[in-house]
Amino acid sequence: MSDIYIYSERLDIAAELIGFARQNHKEPYVVTFSAVAAEELANLGANKVFYLKGESPLVENYAKQISKFLKEQAASHFMVGATARGRDLAARVAGYMDCGMASDLSGLTYVDDELICERIIYGGAVRQKEAFKDFCVVTVPGGLFEPVQGDCEIFTIDLKADERVVLVERTEIPSRGNDLPTASKVVCVGLGLAEEEDLSLVNGLVDVLEGEIACTRGIAEERHWLPVERYIGISGAVIKPELYIALGVSGQIQHVYGIRESKIIVAIDKNDKAPIFRYADYGIVGDMYEIIPLLTDLLN
Amino acid sequence: MARIVACYKWVIDESDIKVNPDLSINLQNSKGKISDYDKNAIEAAVNAAELLEGKPVGLTFGNSKCKASLKDALSRGLEEAYFINSEKADKADGRVTAAALATAIQEMGEVDLVVCAEGASDTYARQTAPRLGACLDLPVISSVNSFTIEGKTLTAIRKLDDCLETVKVELPAIIAVLPEINHPPIPGLKAVMNAGKKKMVEFAEADLKVDLNPKNQVLDLQAYVMERKNIVFADGELTEQVKNLVIALKKEGVI
Ligand SMILES: Cc1cc2nc3c(=O)[nH]c(=O)nc-3n(C[C@H](O)[C@H](O)[C@H](O)COP(=O)(O)OP(=O)(O)OC[C@H]3O[C@@H](n4cnc5c(N)ncnc54)[C@H](O)[C@@H]3O)c2cc1C
Repeated sequence: MSDIYIYSERLDIAAELIGFARQNHKEPYVVTFSAVAAEELANLGANKVFYLKGESPLVENYAKQISKFLKEQAASHFMVGATARGRDLAARVAGYMDCGMASDLSGLTYVDDELICERIIYGGAVRQKEAFKDFCVVTVPGGLFEPVQGDCEIFTIDLKADERVVLVERTEIPSRGNDLPTASKVVCVGLGLAEEEDLSLVNGLVDVLEGEIACTRGIAEERHWLPVERYIGISGAVIKPELYIALGVSGQIQHVYGIRESKIIVAIDKNDKAPIFRYADYGIVGDMYEIIPLLTDLLN
Repeated sequence: MARIVACYKWVIDESDIKVNPDLSINLQNSKGKISDYDKNAIEAAVNAAELLEGKPVGLTFGNSKCKASLKDALSRGLEEAYFINSEKADKADGRVTAAALATAIQEMGEVDLVVCAEGASDTYARQTAPRLGACLDLPVISSVNSFTIEGKTLTAIRKLDDCLETVKVELPAIIAVLPEINHPPIPGLKAVMNAGKKKMVEFAEADLKVDLNPKNQVLDLQAYVMERKNIVFADGELTEQVKNLVIALKKEGVI
């Protein structure tokens, strides 16, 4: 039981999963649906790269065939990058394999050949550890493991897709200069912001910090003051900046889920009982409309 | 008449979770609620039923307490509610949940569309819709941001990490909707009053010949705590406090 099969259209995650397998003395095999990706993946330390070739441009449509393939290969685990597409494919494969699955892991280890998975539930309040003895599927986000290097061969396999769902059109979402995921300084504004125009005040602070602006869900989803790509939390972006400053953000767990890995968290809120202060390194209780100009001036 | 099934989960309200000193968690006094995202799924099913001139029904798998959810679900525009009553739901993993829901859907007879949310607000595992697709061997469209139906063709716009996709499928099918898809209204008094009169069907565990034992073994549940400094600058005037904040951030090397 040591052959780990890996898929992610995000090659950085695929590379990290190969690294995970190597660290744990398991045998990594990678599957991909792109000939170009196959070339790149062939240098990342796997045993083999399988280029799965078929007619459908939708990866999810191969789930049933992939489960057959994994059975034939006697795979011990299927590890998939936790992207929207990856999660869908992974859960379908788990469905066809009738096996266990753990999604969006925050940690993954082997103990005596049992796979121990850690994930966060209840909107960020609770950490759950679970173990799998048999074949299972997991989805894993980026950033957990170190990639390795090493060449291997590419094998091409023809695969038939389930073509009941047909792609009509695909358009890239322009990232609109959204550097939020990699920003080292993030200023996040919550519903404490009274007017849309007041964003200029916040942007002033963002500019002197050379950071990125972010928000809570309500600012994006209800008030539409910032694009949805800018909201942080369990249903939004998960970030790991050096500095995260919350302005008028109460700090509900669903939001805090997205900032847990920040190095330093600063909270500015007029309510001294706001939960955000529990999650903060530094805080000031007060009106953000008074504090933002003072802070911007001092930093200037 | 076309039948549209909204699957929903009755979950513990996470704001009621109490943490014990040893970081174990206490769920005893927590109340239940329909998973927030599932309210979007119910609303989407009601909308789909209008387009298909069909009947929207709800389906849930839960322990006996979950019965309390049926009226709530019915007040949101569903016409019938189906409930798989099993204490095994407490320990269900994604496989068990999908197997239970799939068996109940088969019991219902012909179904045109199954609507799920992307994930539940407690576990947020995002497995149910794709797994249901495998159990029922139906096509699945996940990450649905909006959809239209013409005849028996459903066209959906999916929102993925880096692209939007328009996809098409002939019904029957399963869709998993994103929370952005709609804004479910709060049910009015009349809808709440009427809910009690609607048809409710209960499946006992024994009615469903399906293995409801999970494949995973949960080892441990622990409150998530963050180690933070929790320093609040309260001394002096506001200017002083802001100054102290800047000094601290400089010391940390983050500005
Ligand atoms: C299933 C689910 C998923 C969710 N996912 C997310 C998610 O991914 N991301 C997310 O952000 N939310 C999410 N939420 C919503 C979340 O629970 C909170 O409702 C939300 O984060 C609160 O946003 P807020 O802090 O901006 O607003 P509020 O909670 O209203 O807080 C506003 C804060 O501003 C302060 N304030 C007001 N005026 C001033 C002033 N002049 N100066 C200083 N402070 C002031 C107030 O004291 C208050 O603390 C989710 C909820 C659910 C149920």
